[in-house]
Amino acid sequence: MIVHPSPSQTTVSDPPMMAPPVPLRTYEGMASWQTLRARRWYAVMGLMVLLTCGAVVFCLQFGAHALTMAELWAALTFSTTGSEDVARVIIWDIRFPRILMGLFVGASLAITGAALQALVRNPLADPYVLGISSGAALGATIGLAFGLGSIVGGLGLPLCAFIGGGLSIVLVYGIAASQGRLPMHQLLLAGVIVNAVCSALMMFATSILNPASLYRVVLWLMGTLSAPSTPALLGIGFCLLIAIVLLLRESQALNLLAVGEDAARSLGVDSDRVQQTVFLVSAVLTGAVVSVSGMIGFVGMVVPHLVRILCGADHRLLLPVSALGGGILLMVADTVARTVVAPAEIPVGVITALIGGPFFIYLLMTRKYRFFA
Amino acid sequence: MGTKPVNATVCFGGWEGAGSRVNHEPEDLPGKLTDVPSWAGELARMSCGCNPQGLSRPWGFFYLSSAAFRTSRWIGFLLGAGVLLTTWAVPATLDDEMLNMKRRQQGILTGMPFMANITPRTFVDALGRKLFLAKAPSRVVSMAPNVTEILFALGLEAKVVAVTPFCDYPPEAQSKIHLGGSNPSVEQIIALKPDLVLAPQDFIQPDLLHNLDRVKVPIFVLQAAQLEDVVAQIQTVARMFDRSKAGDELAATIRQRIAIVKVRTQLLAHPRVLYVLNTDPLQTVGPGSFIHQLIAAAGGANIAADTSTAYPRFAVEEVLARDPELIVFPVGTAEGIPEEDQQQWRRWSSLSAVKHNRLVLVPSVLVDRPGPRIVEGLELLARAIHPEAFTGEFQEEKP
Repeated sequence: MIVHPSPSQTTVSDPPMMAPPVPLRTYEGMASWQTLRARRWYAVMGLMVLLTCGAVVFCLQFGAHALTMAELWAALTFSTTGSEDVARVIIWDIRFPRILMGLFVGASLAITGAALQALVRNPLADPYVLGISSGAALGATIGLAFGLGSIVGGLGLPLCAFIGGGLSIVLVYGIAASQGRLPMHQLLLAGVIVNAVCSALMMFATSILNPASLYRVVLWLMGTLSAPSTPALLGIGFCLLIAIVLLLRESQALNLLAVGEDAARSLGVDSDRVQQTVFLVSAVLTGAVVSVSGMIGFVGMVVPHLVRILCGADHRLLLPVSALGGGILLMVADTVARTVVAPAEIPVGVITALIGGPFFIYLLMTRKYRFFA
Repeated sequence: MGTKPVNATVCFGGWEGAGSRVNHEPEDLPGKLTDVPSWAGELARMSCGCNPQGLSRPWGFFYLSSAAFRTSRWIGFLLGAGVLLTTWAVPATLDDEMLNMKRRQQGILTGMPFMANITPRTFVDALGRKLFLAKAPSRVVSMAPNVTEILFALGLEAKVVAVTPFCDYPPEAQSKIHLGGSNPSVEQIIALKPDLVLAPQDFIQPDLLHNLDRVKVPIFVLQAAQLEDVVAQIQTVARMFDRSKAGDELAATIRQRIAIVKVRTQLLAHPRVLYVLNTDPLQTVGPGSFIHQLIAAAGGANIAADTSTAYPRFAVEEVLARDPELIVFPVGTAEGIPEEDQQQWRRWSSLSAVKHNRLVLVPSVLVDRPGPRIVEGLELLARAIHPEAFTGEFQEEKP
């Protein structure tokens, strides 16, 4: 799940090829201005991994159906007899896949958001800015409208969404790319336009749909993590793993690109290659995430900012910590979403914004924060 | 004050518009001085014991300086206020019937054309709006599949000019003019020159009522909260079209069939039932929904009976814990649960329903359309829940 970058990327003790961004001024005790040292990388990452494991265990305890500690322990250790069968099924077949799904989806959204904010140098960027999510949503809507959700072993809907997302990646790239380069302003505009067009088509599709099947589209759009199938879980985990490896390899380049494209190029960064890699990785990961979980807002945009406030803007640390932080936020939010009005549930997007929003406002008001300082 | 807008409604051309709309016209707001009734000045004089001299407006006693009040006047004022409060509060303690009688008399006494209230040709719809029909309508627009089914069941197909594209039963309904999808055009409705529009409360655009009111196209809103409401609705529609006899006969048949189902199932043990509206995320039916009542009437116990909304998202683990003995899937052409989703439920092998292979398919059009065929849906559900209580005699009864 967690991939440690090779030592040459993490330690700064021997000067790497690309110099880390030089802070203009230095304030004592302010994480965002500190230079990243290997010791701090390991300390923060260790803490985050511990927190993530703690959050998984914490979230396993809570659910719509209250389990006693004894039942929980028996289920976790597989020392169950017939009467505790339900507890075991609830823990291992329902809660655990769902928590894992929350971790993967949250991590994917947050790491994509962090990478894209650096790529387009815009604090408002999030995974949905590329237009991929709207393409995926359109795919899912069309799938629902034509009843394609039933094909391929219950994976019809994610597949429709993924195809929609893939087509919109091609479309956005085709619009934005010119002469082998991928200018960022064109990428942003292409994403916005594709978003608008796909939203319009989706609205058209929903307006001619039978109202009775309309609610299924609405449910899908609100986003859900409930009871994921194993192939979906494995697929998103695999995509996330590849994406983390690829993005971490570009983290130093992203540090420099965040300062400025010209500066990065003058320091030897092959900015075209980096931009294309980051775009493609982000787009595919977004498409995969939206396909399995629908549109879950807030995590992708705000978690990178939270991490930047707390840990600094160095992407070697920002990317993995964002991933783990996004995973934790979504896991906890989903636990709240499935327990507050139990046995009913509420959409998880409501809770991510309600938990993360106030925390972010608090940090924004109490800490000094300069985007990519 | 939360009273019904009975006293504020205005009649025009036999059709009495929504009272609340009239109230919201800014010139009708009660706070404006021009609207102050003449008795207000009298009241001021009586309660204060003084004539508000120098003030041309009868509302003037509000503007008197405090020096104008003397202690004795205050006592008079308080007494007057007490009398007013008593007269205002006493009707609130009376029961509803008395209250309505009192209001109706007021309406007649003030000369409002409230005769519409007491004619047999006045119909009150689900929103409390009153519609006066001098004669049976001859051009009807149906805005929901269940309304179309009611109209056709009453033999009124010649009077139906337009239906929605989703009105698939009876098949002849498809030959009528189609309104535009879930967002019908007001222009189209007006151009059809209907003398009655029958609409459901759900799924219609919020401004449709207002727009049709403005051009004086009579619209009647149907909403069934209970099984009995459906039958009553059929009778109401029949009365509108002077088909009371046919309506009463149809209603009697339906009531009888409902009664048979209830008699056979109510004394049996109620098995736990899960109704799957959507699989991922799981959405089911709660109290307040129509299907929840159907399940209860068919002798089942909905496992989501303790949720607060009509169509709640439901936790899968709670399904496992509550262990439904029967899982019901709605199926249909346009709507309904796809086959693969049903198979997904079989992975929860600890459920009684899965162990005993009691996953039941019910045509969604029979259970979620509050029309005459609802009783067929009820019978299907009852047979699925209590196969032992029925020996298949319903097949002969079906048309």
